[in-house]
Amino acid sequence: MKRLVLNPVLDKEFRSRMRTWKSPLLISLYLGVLALITLGYYWTQQQSAFYAGFGPEVGPQIYVTLTIFQLMLVSFVTPAFTAGVISGERERQTLDLLICTRLSATSIILNKLLASIAYILLLIISSLPFFSVVYFFGGVLLSEIGQVFLVYLMTSLTFGAIGVFCSTVFRKTQVSVVVTYVIVFFFLAGTVVITAFLASVSPNFSGLPLIAYLNPVVALFSTFPGSFSQEMFMSFGVGGRVVGANTPASNLLPWQYNFIGDGIIIVLFLILAIILLDPVGRFSRLKQLFRRKRKVQVEIDDEEIKSEAHPG
Amino acid sequence: MLRIENLSKKYGKLTAVDNLSLHVESGSIFGLVGPNGAGKTSTMKILAALLAPTAGRAWIAGEEVSTNPARIRQLVGYMPDFFGVYDDLKVEEYLDFYAASYAMPVRERRMIIGDLLELVDLSHKRYAYVDSLSRGMKQRLCLARSLVHDPSLLILDEPASGLDPRARVEMRELLKELKSMGKTIIISSHILPELSELCTHIGIMEMGKLVISGTNEEIVHHTRGGRTLQIRVIDRAEEAGLILQDELGLAEAPFFNNSAVLPFSGDDEDLNRILTRMVASGIPVASFSEGSNNLEDIFMQVTKGAVQ
Repeated sequence: MKRLVLNPVLDKEFRSRMRTWKSPLLISLYLGVLALITLGYYWTQQQSAFYAGFGPEVGPQIYVTLTIFQLMLVSFVTPAFTAGVISGERERQTLDLLICTRLSATSIILNKLLASIAYILLLIISSLPFFSVVYFFGGVLLSEIGQVFLVYLMTSLTFGAIGVFCSTVFRKTQVSVVVTYVIVFFFLAGTVVITAFLASVSPNFSGLPLIAYLNPVVALFSTFPGSFSQEMFMSFGVGGRVVGANTPASNLLPWQYNFIGDGIIIVLFLILAIILLDPVGRFSRLKQLFRRKRKVQVEIDDEEIKSEAHPG
Repeated sequence: MLRIENLSKKYGKLTAVDNLSLHVESGSIFGLVGPNGAGKTSTMKILAALLAPTAGRAWIAGEEVSTNPARIRQLVGYMPDFFGVYDDLKVEEYLDFYAASYAMPVRERRMIIGDLLELVDLSHKRYAYVDSLSRGMKQRLCLARSLVHDPSLLILDEPASGLDPRARVEMRELLKELKSMGKTIIISSHILPELSELCTHIGIMEMGKLVISGTNEEIVHHTRGGRTLQIRVIDRAEEAGLILQDELGLAEAPFFNNSAVLPFSGDDEDLNRILTRMVASGIPVASFSEGSNNLEDIFMQVTKGAVQ
């Protein structure tokens, strides 16, 4: 059987990440927080109940609480994992050694992102047993859980791409992490503020502005079962606005719009990161070509001036 | 092996490399010498395809550096002046990571890692964490890393900096071994006596320009005839100084603590005349000898100590 050959960057990142005690500790902490949320919510529900046992809404309620907290955790963890992948190499003085190998800038950037996302996926997958608890209570479809996991994946890829981009732009990891968190905060809260502002400016406007679809919470809400979805949008501060009503192809769901927006952001930020990382790549050659053309133009102009001054 | 034509690198208004042209023969060891900020590291980074030049071109084994960086990275082994290591990897894993980064097959990687560890005398540290290595060992490991893909040209930026005397000697022996293996090496260092012993060619840079370059003999020949006159007297140094001032046209008396070391461009007859005159004047000469300029003397002569 042909041996599976991992990209060296991916291989090294996996090896380095999983070797220390930090990884199991982080996974334990992550699952511990989720367990506390699940048990805490169930306990408060039991305390306020007038009867023993649980009602039909408990399952979806735990599910909604869990998925929102998990989205927040993914949003919080992703920048921490990705915003130092290139700047960290620069600070450790290993970036030059990495670039002067045969690995392309594309390969370095993509595999650094993949290694980080793989770890976040491990966190998400390790949380699956909590969702089986939700299944125990009933009220949630498997396809809905699948959609939620897709939202997590796209969110971590988007925030990851932004983190990798910032880590390529900024020399210091601290600056990169702070800027990434600011951008993530804009996606989570800034889009809500802009949406609320636009709603106050044009009250007759019936749908959500396009910028609202960049918010992963909007995408997440639209995957919730039945009435929970609209209920969540109401609490999100967009009142009774019809989701997707003002968009050109309103047959798409918000999470699908979100995926389109995320896809564009991921591609854009990764391309920029690759261009910035490559010291003598195509982009650099384009700049050089432009400089040479300008130099040739200057020389031609000089020749023209000389020939005008000394005709014949 | 290496040809550089009118290479320049500017960082804003600062010119790090200024119209540099150079030719390095295959199999030679070229020592790049210069004060801090002379442009050595920028030149080396351009050659390692880590930095785009502002102007000019360079070719390594016929491949132009700017237009074919992927091929250049296969041809060049680069060791920077300051570098880090992945502390959480073992020595073998560290080298394997770089070998894999050069797309080497697994079986070939295992073989070459063993050979390289033997070459740099780190076989006993094969399964140790990189973190646990001493500075000298890390330098040798980084040299092994730069050799992992069997490059034709080695670019070593201050490979012996920060090493203790023993580690420095070990590094020098290692470079001699590489020289005997037929590698072309470009090396920069501040330890000039070592360079003159190791290198077949020397280039001195200052303020981004190549002030002088050639074989060791050529450089010595070009700098004030390359000879010195070393005199020590028991007494009457002032009188001896007056004779030397008269004979060599010196402005100041050259003696300090009854000794003098002077640049000398005359021939044997001139030497004989000076000595005869001193002895005839009754000056008690303890020693009178001729020496040749070493690289440090030449470096001090051709550079002005200016940095950008």
